[in-house]
Amino acid sequence: MRTTGARCARLGMAAAFLLALPVQGGTPVVNATLDPVRISVGESARLTISRLGTSLESVKLPVVPGLEFRIIERSERPEVIHGASLAATILVVRVTPQVPGTFIIPALTPRSQPLVLRVDPDNGAGPLRGPGGAVAGAPGAAPAGTGEPGAAGVQMTANGSAFLRLSGPKGEIYVGESVPISIELGLRAGVVTSVNGLPAVTGGDFTLLNLSRQPARSERIIDGKPFVLLTWRSVLAAIKPGAFALAVETPLTVRVTARPLRESLLEDQLGDPFLQNFYGATVPKDVTIRSPTYQLRAMALPADGRPAGFSGAVGTFEISSDVSPATAAAGDPLTLRMRVSGSGNFDRVDSAMLAHLDQWKTYPPKSSFHARDAIGFQGEKVFEQPVIASNAGAQTLPGLTFSYFDPSTGRYQTARSAPLRVVISPSAADAALAAVPAAANGSANPASASLGGLRPDHVAAPRFVASLVPPYLQPRFLTIPPLLGLLFAGGWLMIRRSASDPDARPGGRALSRAAARALGRMQAAARAGDTASFLAEAREALLMAGPVMAGPAEATAQRAQGREGGPQYGPDREEIRQLFALADEAKYSGAAPGAVDFARWTQIVRSRLQSEGTR
Amino acid sequence: MRHRERLGALIVGLMLVGCQGRPHSALPGYSAAGLYDLANAYARAGRPGMAVLNYERASLLAPNDPDIEFNLRYVLQSRRLPLEPRGRMARALSAVSPMAVSWIGVAGLVIVGASLLGGRRTARYRWLRRGALLAGILLVGLTVGNAVLLWPKLHEAVVIRAAAPVRVSPVPMGDALIVLPEAAIVRMRAQHEGFVLVETSAGLAGWASRADLAPVVPLR
Repeated sequence: MRTTGARCARLGMAAAFLLALPVQGGTPVVNATLDPVRISVGESARLTISRLGTSLESVKLPVVPGLEFRIIERSERPEVIHGASLAATILVVRVTPQVPGTFIIPALTPRSQPLVLRVDPDNGAGPLRGPGGAVAGAPGAAPAGTGEPGAAGVQMTANGSAFLRLSGPKGEIYVGESVPISIELGLRAGVVTSVNGLPAVTGGDFTLLNLSRQPARSERIIDGKPFVLLTWRSVLAAIKPGAFALAVETPLTVRVTARPLRESLLEDQLGDPFLQNFYGATVPKDVTIRSPTYQLRAMALPADGRPAGFSGAVGTFEISSDVSPATAAAGDPLTLRMRVSGSGNFDRVDSAMLAHLDQWKTYPPKSSFHARDAIGFQGEKVFEQPVIASNAGAQTLPGLTFSYFDPSTGRYQTARSAPLRVVISPSAADAALAAVPAAANGSANPASASLGGLRPDHVAAPRFVASLVPPYLQPRFLTIPPLLGLLFAGGWLMIRRSASDPDARPGGRALSRAAARALGRMQAAARAGDTASFLAEAREALLMAGPVMAGPAEATAQRAQGREGGPQYGPDREEIRQLFALADEAKYSGAAPGAVDFARWTQIVRSRLQSEGTR
Repeated sequence: MRHRERLGALIVGLMLVGCQGRPHSALPGYSAAGLYDLANAYARAGRPGMAVLNYERASLLAPNDPDIEFNLRYVLQSRRLPLEPRGRMARALSAVSPMAVSWIGVAGLVIVGASLLGGRRTARYRWLRRGALLAGILLVGLTVGNAVLLWPKLHEAVVIRAAAPVRVSPVPMGDALIVLPEAAIVRMRAQHEGFVLVETSAGLAGWASRADLAPVVPLR
């Protein structure tokens, strides 16, 4: 369609040229056509500039931002106009857009019309998808499309310069499952100049893991044309459940020619890239090639039957375990290993091994992976866990377990290893402690003289102690100083108390008892109404209580009892004096006073005795 | 009468506690001679770590035994390991065994208390009381000094393996800072699970496996 349109446009322009010819007069007649007027980024359009005459020096190439103009052909040929043959100069310019958009190419002469070029965004297929076998970007290339499968069974790009093929994925996979795939990129020798990146998965539904950086390289003849095959191997994994389209793409740089299709066919016949480039002008162009699309369904792992220790491992695995060394001393670290081998997503293979175990001290394990292929799909993951036995004797380490999901059966599996037996001997320090009594009892050999500079053994009878800790640092012994402190503090208090206790003073206790007896006799005399006896007992009680010197008789009595000194007067001095006077009157006159207040005098005497006792 | 009864009960209780504080003679326990002979046996058998360990333990019970000190020095020098020399003060403070020092301290406390109580009770014999107070304080000071001297030794350990790696962290996978030779004496600073934070005489600190060490005073 484009070719037909181009012809129509060309005829139209020629007619306009002829109609305008008489009008132009002396001005140069320049005509310009653009073909096609709508392209995509990565494609090129052809600008044909024609002028009557043999000189085109006055024609300057336009300058348009975003467009690149390059002269690719200059020729002269006769043009028959109104039966007259005129010489015309033809200039062919390749117009290559850098960005999408609508570009206006200004008129080359004041009387010509500007040209409009519409550039669509790159659809990803690039110019390689034009039908007809032409190199992408060549003039007359058709819109992008998918090429037909070639004779070798590969889906070639439209121009036959490259193909990208993805093999390996199956229709249904599980989320997290690793699926080995291979990506094969075929490059036409001489046409594809470089591969600008590694293959990548389109979209975000899948991930490529462990993609080999250096692909396997081989050569292959497809449809009689030499191709270089680059093969990558990788592991594909779905990251979420659902139905998704899968494709891979790779950026390339190809050489494109600006010659028409029919001329490019001749170049293809030349075969040799050097001759092709020599014959036709080519330019490098960056394109992206994409593989055919696969439809995959990613299924979620079943929730039923999921083991407690499932870590997300999907594949086919088997485990084994060992411990080294098999014999050790208590306290020595042992290394418990669990080897998980098989095929699957080893990045999700994980295990806590023995988290808690009686009589053992366990540490978190560390793991290392040893791949058996380039993509890490098959291999062996080794978990190493340090464990320390706390007790001596024959010990058994329980078997280890590892849970995974087997995609071939669609079920969870749990692999188990056999228990391991180890022999733990007593630690060296414990053995030394146990050997102390034996050495003390038996090894003291008097005949063991100095050997190698050592002084001989001791033969004295050993004196045993229960602990090497000095007694003054042992808890039971440390209770003695506080108890001694309490003892002396108690003694201190006792001495202090005895100094202030009246009963503890010399004669104090006897005085107290005699005063009590005197008071008792006073009360008995009061009940009997015997005033003389009452006063006599009161006088005696006061004399026992202490010095209350009131008169010569009392002083004489106190001197007779050896109780001189001390305070001579108390606060109740007058009352006591009166009591002594009454008592003296009753004693020496022989006549008892008339009315005596027994209760009052008893209270005075009691107060006197109490005040004397607390002094 | 009541005060006399209280005082008597207190003295009896104190005597009972003192008897309980004494090591039980029925236990096999340790003896300086036994540990010394055992250390000699290890030294002759070519196990310097265990030999040094038992020499150190024997020196706790008999600090002034010249044979123990000589053989300990001999084994360490044969391994080209340093032995920290003891000063005069250290020798004086450790002149008596820790067992005797313990009871000397108790006697000092009794003398101090009695002199103070006597001064409270009577003003006579003033110089005698002051002398007794000073003597009691000296006896208590002897015990305290002995404890201060022995305290670091109670936290020492001996390397009993041919090579004991000292790691930066208390895990078996930790990087090794240094490797201690057998019979080296280190100070224990802390413990974490199966590892002991040790400090060498050179001031380097790190975590060593407890299985590689033997504390001078066995941990209970």
